[in-house]
This record gives sequence, C-alpha cells and structure tokens, in this order.
Amino acid sequence: MTGDGTGPGTGPVTGGAGTGPVSGAGAGRLAGRAAVITGAARGLGRACALAFAREGADLMLLDVAGELPGVPYPLGSASQLAHTADLCREAGSAVLTRQADVRDLAALEAAADASEERFGRIDVLVNNAGIAAPSGRPAHEITEAEWQLMIDVDLGGAWRAIRAVGARMVAQGSGSIVNVASTAGLVGYRHFAGYVAAKHGLVGLTKAVALDYAPRKVRVNAVCPGSVRDDEAMEGRMLAEIARSLEVPVAVHEETFVRDQPMNALVEPGDVADAVLWLATDASRQVTGSVVTVDGGFTAR
Amino acid sequence: MPPVQHSLTVRLSTNVTDAALDAALTAAAELWWPGDRRPRLWTEPVPAPAASDAAARRRAAEASRPVASGHRLRAVLLRYGDERREGAAAAPDLVLTADGSALDARSLRVVARVLRGDLAPEAVTPLAGPLPLDLRLDEETRRLASALALTVGRYEGASAVRVAVPVPARDRPPYALGALDGYAVFAADLSPGRTVAQLLATEPVAPAVGEEPPSPELMASDGPAVLPTGPGTLPVPARQVDDIRQQLLTSTPNARLSQLNPLSEAESAEQLALGARPAPPASSLRIDEAFAAQVAARPEAPALTAGSTTLSYAELDARAEALADGLYARGVRPGDLVGLCLPRSTDLVAAMLAVLKADAVHVPLDPEHPADRRERTARDAGVRLTVEDPATLTGHPPRPAAPRGEPGSPAYVIHTSGSTGRPKGVVVPHANVTALVDAVREDFGLSPDDTWTCFHSAAFDFSVWEIWGALLTGGRLVVADHWTTRSPEDFHALLVRERVSVLSQTPSAFTQLAAADRTAPDPVGTRLVVLGGEPLGARPLLDWFDRHPEDRCRLVNMYGITETTVHVTAATVTRRDALAGSRSVGRPLPGWSVRVLDAHGRPVPPGAPGEIVVGGAGVALGYLNRPALTAERFVPDPLDPAGRRLYRSGDLGRLLPDGTLEHLGRIDDQVQVRGFRIEPGEIRHVLLEDPAVSAAAVTVTGGDAGDAAAVRIDAYVVPAPGAGEDPGPVRERAARLLPPHMVPATVTVLPALPLTANGKLDAARLPAPGTRRDPVTAPAPAAAAHEAGPAAALAAIWCDVLGVETIGPDDDFWDLGGNSLYAIRIGTLARERGLPGVPLRQLYLTPTLGALSEALARKT
Repeated sequence: MTGDGTGPGTGPVTGGAGTGPVSGAGAGRLAGRAAVITGAARGLGRACALAFAREGADLMLLDVAGELPGVPYPLGSASQLAHTADLCREAGSAVLTRQADVRDLAALEAAADASEERFGRIDVLVNNAGIAAPSGRPAHEITEAEWQLMIDVDLGGAWRAIRAVGARMVAQGSGSIVNVASTAGLVGYRHFAGYVAAKHGLVGLTKAVALDYAPRKVRVNAVCPGSVRDDEAMEGRMLAEIARSLEVPVAVHEETFVRDQPMNALVEPGDVADAVLWLATDASRQVTGSVVTVDGGFTAR
Repeated sequence: MPPVQHSLTVRLSTNVTDAALDAALTAAAELWWPGDRRPRLWTEPVPAPAASDAAARRRAAEASRPVASGHRLRAVLLRYGDERREGAAAAPDLVLTADGSALDARSLRVVARVLRGDLAPEAVTPLAGPLPLDLRLDEETRRLASALALTVGRYEGASAVRVAVPVPARDRPPYALGALDGYAVFAADLSPGRTVAQLLATEPVAPAVGEEPPSPELMASDGPAVLPTGPGTLPVPARQVDDIRQQLLTSTPNARLSQLNPLSEAESAEQLALGARPAPPASSLRIDEAFAAQVAARPEAPALTAGSTTLSYAELDARAEALADGLYARGVRPGDLVGLCLPRSTDLVAAMLAVLKADAVHVPLDPEHPADRRERTARDAGVRLTVEDPATLTGHPPRPAAPRGEPGSPAYVIHTSGSTGRPKGVVVPHANVTALVDAVREDFGLSPDDTWTCFHSAAFDFSVWEIWGALLTGGRLVVADHWTTRSPEDFHALLVRERVSVLSQTPSAFTQLAAADRTAPDPVGTRLVVLGGEPLGARPLLDWFDRHPEDRCRLVNMYGITETTVHVTAATVTRRDALAGSRSVGRPLPGWSVRVLDAHGRPVPPGAPGEIVVGGAGVALGYLNRPALTAERFVPDPLDPAGRRLYRSGDLGRLLPDGTLEHLGRIDDQVQVRGFRIEPGEIRHVLLEDPAVSAAAVTVTGGDAGDAAAVRIDAYVVPAPGAGEDPGPVRERAARLLPPHMVPATVTVLPALPLTANGKLDAARLPAPGTRRDPVTAPAPAAAAHEAGPAAALAAIWCDVLGVETIGPDDDFWDLGGNSLYAIRIGTLARERGLPGVPLRQLYLTPTLGALSEALARKT
C-alpha cells in the first residue's frame, strides 16, 4: 500500500499490516530470528555472529569489552565488538550491542529485555563468553580467587545468561541455547583444573537444562571445539593464551598443537560456527542435551 | 479481532537527529500514556544506499518484526549508508510498528505526524475503549469486496464467500489514538442466477464477538478499502480481482454474476491448452481392418487362448469369417445391432470380430446379469438378434463381398448405469478403438511379444481395451473364465502359467491379486499393469513395488469413461506417488483432451475444481436412441471450427499447472462399485417400478473409505396402498432387474420418507438400515451354538466379514449384504483360521450358512 498519512509533500509513506513474525524477512535459515551471543567481540563469538548474520538472524551482541582483573591477557574490546556489529550489518542484520560482564546478572537481564523490545523475541542464545587463563599450574597451586574467577565466568556466566532468557523462550515455546564448551569439557588437560572443571560443568549444565526445557521445545546443546586456530580476521587469541599457560613458545604453538591433531590440522573458527549454526536452526529440531564435538578427532583417541 | 500488528514507514528529513526524535517520542508518550512503559527509539545503521535492495529488505524486515508483548509501539530509525553523500543525501526512514490491539492503522499515522513535527502531541486524543463501527460501505468498497468474493468463489468453486472489509469507528474524534477502527463481514451469495445488483447490495455485518476475520481481507486505507498487495497476501491474483471490479462497473445491474469472468481470454486459452494433447496425424482404421493387418503380418502367431485351446491369428480370423457368414445368413445387415450373450471363451472374441466383419454393431449382454435385465437391454437397443450359441452361426454359405462402413461408423454399444433409471447404450465407433491402441502403442511398448488377459466382462468396456489392445498389436489374449476371475489365487496361477505380460485390473481386484501374489510360490512376471475403472488409492501399492520394482513392472493408472472409449488419461504410478497418496490421473492420451469447466462451460482458473470435459479421438457417437440425453452430455466444442463434440463427464476434477489431471469424484451422487459406475437413481427407478412400492430412497455408503467391498447399497421403500409390508418380494424383483453389484443389501419398509423443508429427501434422517430378515430370529441349533468345530468357526467368519452380531444356519450370504469381494474375504479368512477353503463356486451353490457348512463337511 502506498499512501500519505502524514501530510503533503513530505516524502513517501509506506505501511502494512503484518500478521506473522517473519513475513517480511528475507531468506536464510535464521531469517526473522533473533539471537543473543555472548563474547561476541572476537574469536568464535565473532565467527558465530557472522554465520548467523549470513543466515538472516538479527543479533544482540554482548561482550565484557574490557579487562577482567585476574585474567592475564587482554579480553575483547569495545572496538572489536563494534567491528563485529559492522560486519553483521553489512551481511544484512539488524544489530544491537551491549557491554556486559557475564558475571553480572542484572546486565544480562537488561540486555535480554532490550533484545526483546527491539526484536520482539529471542530465538537463540549462544553462550560463548569464556576465559582460558589463569591456568598452567597444578591444582594445589590455584588460588581461591583464580578458581572462583574461572568458574564464575566459564560456568556461572552461561547459567546467568540462561536465567536471563530462559523464561522468555519457555513462554514462547521455542528456542535454542548453544553452550560453547570445549574438549576440556570431555577430557582432562594437565595444569588446567579450573578450566576443565568449568567446561565439564558446562556440559553437565547443558544436559540438565535440556531436560528442564524439553517439554516446552526449548533445546539446549553444547559444542566442544578442540584446538581452534587463532584466525586473524576473527582476532582470536585463545590458542595462543593456552600455549602461553603451557609455556609453549607462542611463535611455534600452532605446530605444537597440530602434532596432537589426528587430522593434522587445527580447527577453523568457521567449522565451530557451522556446528553452532546447525544447533541454532530447525535443522536440529530433535537435538537437545547433546554434545557436538568439533575437534578434528582429538577426543576420539 | 484486529490485525496482530500494523506498521508504517515514514521518510524523515535529512537533518533530523536521533536525540531530537527520541525526545519527541519520549515527550509524546509521557503525555499520551503517562506512567506506562515508554517506547524507545532504536537507531539502526544500514550500511547500504537507501535505494538498494538490501535497504528495502531491512525496511520490510523491520515492518514485519513482531512487537514485544507488553509494548504498544516500536520506533526504529534506519540510517542509510548514503546519508552523508554530497548533494543527494539519503534521508532516514522511521519504521513505526504497533500492536494491533493497542493502536489501529490511523493511530499510527497520527503518531508519525507528531514525530515528524507536523502535529502537536497535545492535539491528540488517546482513547481506551472501542467505538461502535460505521458499517456503511461506499460504492468503491462494495465493488471491491464483491470482486474479491467473486474471484475467490471462482477459484474455490464456492457459491458463498465471506470477505473482511475494514470499516472506521463511528464518531471517531480527529487525531484519536487507540484500537478503534475494525472490520465488517461482507458475506457474498454467489449462487447461480444471482445478479450484479444483488451482489453489490450485500449488507455488511459487524463480526460476532471473538470472531476471527474471514480470509480474504481487504485492507484499510484513508479512502475506500484496498486490496492487500505483496506475495501470499491474497488467495487469488490481484489483477483478476481488479478485472472483475471493472466488469462490475460496466455491467448492467441485472447482469448475471455468471457473465463475469476473472480470467482474460489469454488465460482461458492457456487453461484449455494445458489439457490438450494433440496426436500426430494418423490414418484412421476400422477395428477389423487393423486386425486384418495383424493376420496378414503374422498369420501363425498365437492370438487367443481359452483353457487349453489356442487359436492363431489366421485361425481366429477364419472362425470369425465363418461366424460372420452365419450372421449374414441369419439376416444381419450393415449397421444392425447384434446382442452377444456368451460366456468368456474363444467364441466370445470370435463373435465380436464376426459382428464387425459383418459391418454390424455388437451389444454385449453379460450372461451373469439377470435374464430380465438382459432382455430389457436388448429390447431397448433394438438388436436384430442375440447370439447365445455360436453353433447356430456355423455352416452357412459365404456372405457376398461388400464394402464395409467408414472407420467412423459404430463398432459396439456398451450399456452404463443411467441416472434416469434406464441403462444408457454408449455408441462407440471403430476409429475410437484403433486410435486408443495407437495412442499408447509406443509409450506402453505393446508388441507381438506381449500376452494379455481378458479378465473383464464384455459388458464392461475395460474388456474393449484388453481385447483390442492385444489383438491390434499382435499380442496373445488369454481369456480368463468366470471362476478364475472370481478367485485371485486361480487368476494369479493363470498369470504365471501363461506368462502374462500386460495385465489390466480395477484397483480393488488388483489389491486382491497383489495379496495372492504375496503368498504364491511364483511371482507374476507382468511388465505392465493398467489400473482403471475406479479411483486408485495408491498407498497400498507400496507392498507390490517391494516385490515388483517399477523398472521391471510399470504400473499405469488410467482415468476413463465408457463415453470416451475406455481411457482418457494415463499416469505412471511410482513409489513416490504411492507415498504421497497421489490423486493424479496423469495427462490426456495423445489425441485426447481434457478441460475443467465451470457450470457455464468456461475454463476454471488454474487448479480450481470443475467438471472434467473430454474431447478428441475418444468421444463416442452418443447414447443409443437417446437424442435428448446425447445433446445434453455430448456438446459441440465452441472452439473447434469443425464442430467436433466434447463429452461432459459429470466428474469433478482439477487441472494442475503441469497439465496433469486430478480426479475428485462424481459431481452428482453417482458412485463406483468394483469398477462399475452405478447411480442410486437407477436402483430407485427400478424399485419405484414395483407396483407394491409408492416411494423409494437409496443410500450408498462406505465408498469413501476406498474399499470397494465396503460399499453398501441400502434401499428404503414406502409400500403402495394395500400392498403388504414384506420387503422380500421387492428385493427379489429388484434382484431380477439389476446387475448383482446394484442390488441393495437391505430393503427397509418405512411408513413415509423423511423430507427436508424443500420437499427433498432428507437422507440424514433415514433410520439405520434393517436386514430383510432379522438374523437373531433365526434360531441357531443348540448344538451348533456351543460347538467349537468348523461350523461355528465358519459362522464367526461370516459375522466378522458381514458385520452382523449373530447368525443362524438359514441366513443367506447375499441377503446379509454379501458380495463377491466379501466372498473372497470369507475364503481368505477360512484359510487363515485353518478351515478348509471356501470355494467361491460353493458359496454360490449353497448360500446359507447351514448348507455351506454341510457341503464343506462332506468334502473333508
């Protein structure tokens, strides 16, 4: 319909009555869907955001976008978060960004409120935010503060985000939550007790919440990436930080990790994003409480 | 119920700032909805030029995005990539989306004007409650609603269509905010005979409380209602609605609605072309000429097998020549009708050929039909003579040589059930039959290597296909005798023994045969199965495909009518169709055409239901001695300069965009039972002829389940004054006049038939049918009741199959609603339950439970 509802000579006015949530949305496996992604400034978070944007999703991108006391390496920045948002907009998404620490429940709830108000719904939550260090010491050398920080971010953060969006998904009777765990959620790594415990906990959280939400068709799954290459475009640095914790020379860390890979190659961020995307879409309608491992065969041994 | 949400996209000026707009929104919201949740302004950078497709997609996405629950309004400012371009800066767009239960479309415009600074927020009046609706429609809107209803009616084949029309609230203050406007229901009556003026005068009504708006809907606008645009928003093409609107504008008030057509001439022509299947020009032949060519080509090849006898083409030809001489000697002359009442045998086929050689027309009379019915049919047809014993035709001198008639002259007359109560004789010329064989010869790969069966009665035109399909392609025809056709196991054995390659069956019979094939030691080796005569339920074929893959045995479903020479369309059925439960009957044969027309003979819109009308090479000459009926059903093709005729089938169909036809059933109450089309009207007519009957009604039930054996005919009669109340003689008389598949299972005597207010029969109020004799009253012998032996087991089988609760030894299988398919089921169940088999022949000979048990006991 074309009309002029606001007075003469003021430019075109268009309008229409919509009856469904997605009738004007374009193509793509996530067209008309809204997703919340934590840790979206860089790395796997950016890779997932871009993969979602290409499939037509609209996005609420969250990141701590600043330093965390006790984490020995720089975390995602506000500039990196804005860059992820720009990339997603160029792919056709509507994007909201918020600076939020996953240890801050109120911040996550505010972000969830804003997402719903802006997009009308929340269909997907990707719990990607996480830290790899402080690590690199045996269990008895971990301090109370280090332990708390690791558990609070890597395990508690996912639970808080679920708390912020879960009720909406349950009310709407649909939704997909993807927790980005790690092969450290499946096997142990020497000198990574806190990280391994948190990621194992995240796998357990996934299974338990999957059962909580299953009757309401809200799905909860975990993806366990193995050694992911620090892709330059994604600005990832997790593998380098793990290497640093293990006192592997950072200059040659890729070769060191490849040696342990049955497929003789590191995992690419896009490989992980594809698995997350599959779990986010209706292609995995009956998949819940499951763990999808993307590790090039590392944990198969 | 209002629409779920509205949206409005407004282009702002280039110099508007986010802060100013946000402030205006906040100020207005606080004034209008103090203390309520305030809408926020969301700014979205769109890294693409305002005029780009990407920007258009973003606008569409924002406009259709749901409003979060608990919010009445969302405001999104889209700023484009070319916003700061020198000289031609793109202005931002404001997309306002409102919850339809809070704000209507006009309210949204008021909000937009305020945010653009064209209107002071103080001038606006927020209203909470609903206002009464103004149901008066202007002429434009009436016309548009009428046009939409008419077009939708044409697509749905419906004569009543409801359209939702947006109407404003009455006494709406200027600049009001709220969910105030609503819609009215425009219930259009499109019944035949209605005029343009009557339709336009339709009074809109307010929807009932809680009523969903009808789909289709018109859209609100400032002026009259408008058509919604955009993909999927209308069930019909908007252009056609507009065409009808124009036609409404220019037609006279008294014009019939049937004179309006949403299809353009080109669209109508397209629909007609879709169902046309021209054939390459071929020389048309008489059947006997085409047969003679096969005799000349391969005189020694086997032509016809019955039992242990096989005739070569030359022998069959010689036999037919001899019989033709006999026909001549008995006075048969060119054009005469000759009744053929012969059992399935080599002589049945030879006699058919003989009649054709004598340049006469054969009229098959099924020896299994009651003698009275056969006599009536022969008398009605005016046959010169009826051949019942071929011996009387042998030993006569050769007939004089004479040129035979043209290929367009009649070859046979087959009688089909008629709604007027009398069977109608369909007159089919030679050329139709030879054209039919030519139409499929190549596609079906028909060759002298093929062996066919003649399974069907000569009185059912499926046999025309079987006989001439074999003999005009050099194949061998194996005639199955009566008892073999009634036993799937025996027939299966015949198929294996004779290495039959081309098989024709009704779907019901094929289901029984496939069951026999499952348990038989050797599977059949057919390469082609032609299914026809009744609608196909494709799903049960899956099991057949498991044993006979499609690349080894092709299954073809053919739709056809006696009046169009056996077949019209063909569809190869595959696993895909079986899984989909396809109703497609495929495309017309080359040389045949199908059209789907409305009651006024116009092509219906694509995919809409209508009457299947058949044209082309198969259209029969008409009904014998029934000029009025012929003129009604065989109509001149208005598009054919040669004036060839079309046959109006009375079948409901749908022509799909790929040119395939879906068969949706009979338009009238005609039903198909085991491949025979019957009309309750004919049965009723026979009942009404009975002097003891003053009124009669017939119901046919169970046909929709796709199980031919479950089809049940029940009759209700009102005795004539002074006549007795015993339905027995009524049924017995009907059984003498009707073929077995049309004899009612029950006849119930009623004091009067229930009628509707219009004086028509109210079938829904007929009582449950009673059996002619109450089986409970027939006392079962005490011994038999407690016996657990074969007799009791057989009684249990009868109860299961016939659906009765108790049964006595004197109860008659046929009186309890038995039919031949039930008989086969009894045989199958008996074998499954370890009883001696129940040969069909035995059931015919001893049809009561007691007699049958005794007969079976004697055998074991």
